[in-house]
Amino acid sequence: MARNATHTRVGFLLFLIFQSCILFSQNLKDTVHLSQVEVTGSFTLRNQGFKKVLIDSTILVQYLSADLSTILSQYSTVFVKSYGNGSLATPSFRGTSANHTQVEWNGISINSPMLGQTDLAQVPVSQFESLEILYGAATVAKTSGAFGGIINLVSNPDWNNRVDLMLAQTFASFNSYTTNASLALGNRMIQSITKFNYSNALNNFPYNNDQTKAREKLVNGVYVLDGITQEAFFRLSKKDVLTTRIWYSDNSHQIPPITTNISNVHKEEIKDRVLRSMIEWRRSGEKYFFTVRSSLVDQFMRYTLQEQSWNHHSYSWANRVRLVYSGIKNFIIKPGLDFNSDWVISDSYNGVKTRKTIGAFSEFNYDLKKILQFSLVLRQDMIDGKFLPFIPALGIEYKPFRNINLTVSTNLCRNYRFPTLNDLYFEPYGNPDLKPETDYAVEGDMVYNFGKKDDGFFVETTLTSYYSKIINQILWLPTASGSYKPINISEVHARGLEAGLNLAWTIYRFRLSFNNSWNYCRSTNENPLFPGDSTMGKQLIYTPVNTFNSTLAISGFGFYVSSVFSYISERYTSPDNSTYMPGYYLSNIILGKNFHLKKFMLSLQLNLNNLFDLDYQSIVNRPMPGRNYALTLKFNFRK
Amino acid sequence: MILNKNNIFLFSISKSVFFILLITAVLSCSKKPIREETTTVNPPPVNHSYQNGIFIVNEGNFNWGNASITYINTKDSIEQDVFKTHNGRSLGDVAESMQAINGNGFILVNNSNKIEVVSLKDFTSVTSITGFNSPRFMAIVDSTKAYVTNMQKDISIIDLTSLTIKKSVFTNSWTESLIQFNNFMFVSAIGIMSDPSSHRNARILIIDTKSDQIVDSIKTGKEPICMVMDKKDKIWVLCTGGYDNFEPPTLVRIDPSLRVVDKTFSFPNSGATPSRLCINAHKDTLYFLNNGVYQMPVSSTTIPSSPFIPADQHLFYGLDIQPSNGNIFVSDAKDYVQNGTVYQYNQLTGSLLRTFPAGRIPGSFCFPSESKKK
Repeated sequence: MARNATHTRVGFLLFLIFQSCILFSQNLKDTVHLSQVEVTGSFTLRNQGFKKVLIDSTILVQYLSADLSTILSQYSTVFVKSYGNGSLATPSFRGTSANHTQVEWNGISINSPMLGQTDLAQVPVSQFESLEILYGAATVAKTSGAFGGIINLVSNPDWNNRVDLMLAQTFASFNSYTTNASLALGNRMIQSITKFNYSNALNNFPYNNDQTKAREKLVNGVYVLDGITQEAFFRLSKKDVLTTRIWYSDNSHQIPPITTNISNVHKEEIKDRVLRSMIEWRRSGEKYFFTVRSSLVDQFMRYTLQEQSWNHHSYSWANRVRLVYSGIKNFIIKPGLDFNSDWVISDSYNGVKTRKTIGAFSEFNYDLKKILQFSLVLRQDMIDGKFLPFIPALGIEYKPFRNINLTVSTNLCRNYRFPTLNDLYFEPYGNPDLKPETDYAVEGDMVYNFGKKDDGFFVETTLTSYYSKIINQILWLPTASGSYKPINISEVHARGLEAGLNLAWTIYRFRLSFNNSWNYCRSTNENPLFPGDSTMGKQLIYTPVNTFNSTLAISGFGFYVSSVFSYISERYTSPDNSTYMPGYYLSNIILGKNFHLKKFMLSLQLNLNNLFDLDYQSIVNRPMPGRNYALTLKFNFRK
Repeated sequence: MILNKNNIFLFSISKSVFFILLITAVLSCSKKPIREETTTVNPPPVNHSYQNGIFIVNEGNFNWGNASITYINTKDSIEQDVFKTHNGRSLGDVAESMQAINGNGFILVNNSNKIEVVSLKDFTSVTSITGFNSPRFMAIVDSTKAYVTNMQKDISIIDLTSLTIKKSVFTNSWTESLIQFNNFMFVSAIGIMSDPSSHRNARILIIDTKSDQIVDSIKTGKEPICMVMDKKDKIWVLCTGGYDNFEPPTLVRIDPSLRVVDKTFSFPNSGATPSRLCINAHKDTLYFLNNGVYQMPVSSTTIPSSPFIPADQHLFYGLDIQPSNGNIFVSDAKDYVQNGTVYQYNQLTGSLLRTFPAGRIPGSFCFPSESKKK
């Protein structure tokens, strides 16, 4: 009952916004030239000594029916730990844990305040246009505690757009169907974007069951994703833009039993209902940007195991003020103030648990003759009335040659992460006395590129090395009574290298791009829990030492083809490194053709996943699908 | 654009890199499935009898499917994961207990919802009995049937000839330990698993083994997890007081013929977390874990205040007394995620006799050739 009421209310609200947009836009007529869509792909952004990577719509558009985990595992050095098709998928940067990654939607954290992480499988790619990935110290200017990084889902208005309609239907293996629709309407003054996604998958893929030694079909793997986003952008004046966004999603997914479980009826399911909304006012002048934003994220989750259910409901109200001031020569000052509140009502907590966070910070950029750039970030957070230790970060970028695009940069920071609400309050094991985790990190980068990204020849090479020492890391440890309790005990040292080689070439109406990334990471436990602890100095579980991704894409005359290859080295499954999952390679192919007819475009696309039909598991005893297909039919109308 | 030498050079590099990759991809695409492997190479299976020796039951982590059986043969050499070695598949997870009956080993695997029956001649699988509601412990009633407690709903009754579930006794409770007294099976019932401690109704159910009906019950403290019978046919019940320390733990003595609690010992310190109540073969000395290993004569009037074997840096998790010689077997589960260790102590001096490496969360033991009357 309550659920239907929410549905109706949200639907009505969206309807109202949508209606007003259409009416408004009809009154404003203006001639605008159609902008050329920038073809770029995935590349590194210069960012004052901090690492930031962008994956743009040219890649995402080929993954309309996929979820965020697919993109990250194929196009970034972020490792995704996936429990199976449509099942829990969590990100990990540079050997840190999923708790050290913040997932944001246009700058709003969508991590669960309870778990401190996001299930990437619940985030459909169709709901955003590009992905911003901030690594390590680059996150300090946004938030505290994201030791690994930030994944920001971005959508922006195209002020030149008048009408852009997209309808798509995907038919995929294992009875999976996805419908996508989007409509962007507007003019130079106002833009409205509506996006809708619906996926329904039986997900009953065949796999080889080692237990029964038979080929079986996965049971209890159904997932349904349902989502709608309504965004409206108002250009109030030359200087002012008002943005409103609402994203409502209603997802449910069953959790298949592990292969060793023999059960007559296995019923395990998670239902997620999330409403994310925000309003933002932005004023931009000649020498400043000023933004004020308020957002509310309402997350409801129900976990069901057999006949029992647990409900978790959280509200996160986040407010921020940001200023970018460039009035002083060679200086940019970017102060900001955050005020966030979380309320959680959970069957696993005793009463309502809340958290109030106040964050004050400022970034100072100094540019020395376009050769040296300095960036200093100072942050002070206060959580529930207590000051977190001071967080500083320093980035330096050096461009030694005028005519050669070579950039050398370094950064260092000290960061803190406050425990999650589960760590503190989970009944009866939570530990309210936990201290924040501390991270000391240092990084060195080198980026060289040559040519222009979307024309002619372009080559980019990147090399990053990092070292991070996390102390007081929270670990859930067993107690003598047989239960678990989180304590600040673990010390983790993570160090590694990230190397990238990206090539793009346009030749006679053909476009070729070749992106490669390699990540080497040693993330080890450095604090023995007891004498003779055999986990000391060993690689953390489910953290591959080597990962490699390579994508070759060619397009021309409306045809496009991409070959995506990924390698994941062995991952230990026990902290004493006595057991492991062997490394594996996966290959995927995307083939497509766009048919243009005046303002219409019809696209036909075939995704071939796990091309060589590898029989693999990513997590022990959780089967993964063999070769599978997805056929997408897409219709576009653009005026 | 104009092609210059530089571009052609780079293009050819990129092309060749791609082809190398493609070839690697094709070549490396072996058909060997990607499954969990061990860093140390296990020796190939040797066919020998498993009728003697000692089994360590390693629970494994919930939903990881990594339970295992460690075998210590009479000459003290050790074989890890003998189930997987002889059957080519993992045991599942949360292997709760093992019993030897008529030359077969019965391994109760809780989360995998099954009992794996293996022949002790060579440890190969005889059958997997399925249809439980999270099996915990097993007790033989007679040569034809055995009772199995479940974490949910009911007690399953197994037909020992057909090795199937014959019927079940509805309890609507998590049932745990079993002790037979004459024609009655005393079964400890903790209450509904999903309920908080305050709502759980802890009692000892009395089942008539002829009719398989619950005929009576005795109320006890919260979470009666273990029961043993002493030489005077008194049943000792260890109650933890609840997972959340709802009430102080107690040790309760029951007179099974009168069906009453005739004595209750309260644990002196409130933070006590006692578990794994055991009794020696003479049935005159109780043992239990409470961080360390405690020893308590059944005639004692108080709970001992200090441990017989202190835990020191260990996380003592499983405990049993070897029937033939009274030696104390204790397991160290360490951090629950790395492989554990088992210690064998002398029951008189408390001195360490031997140390054995085990699997993930060693929790219980099975002495197949040694008669053990509980």
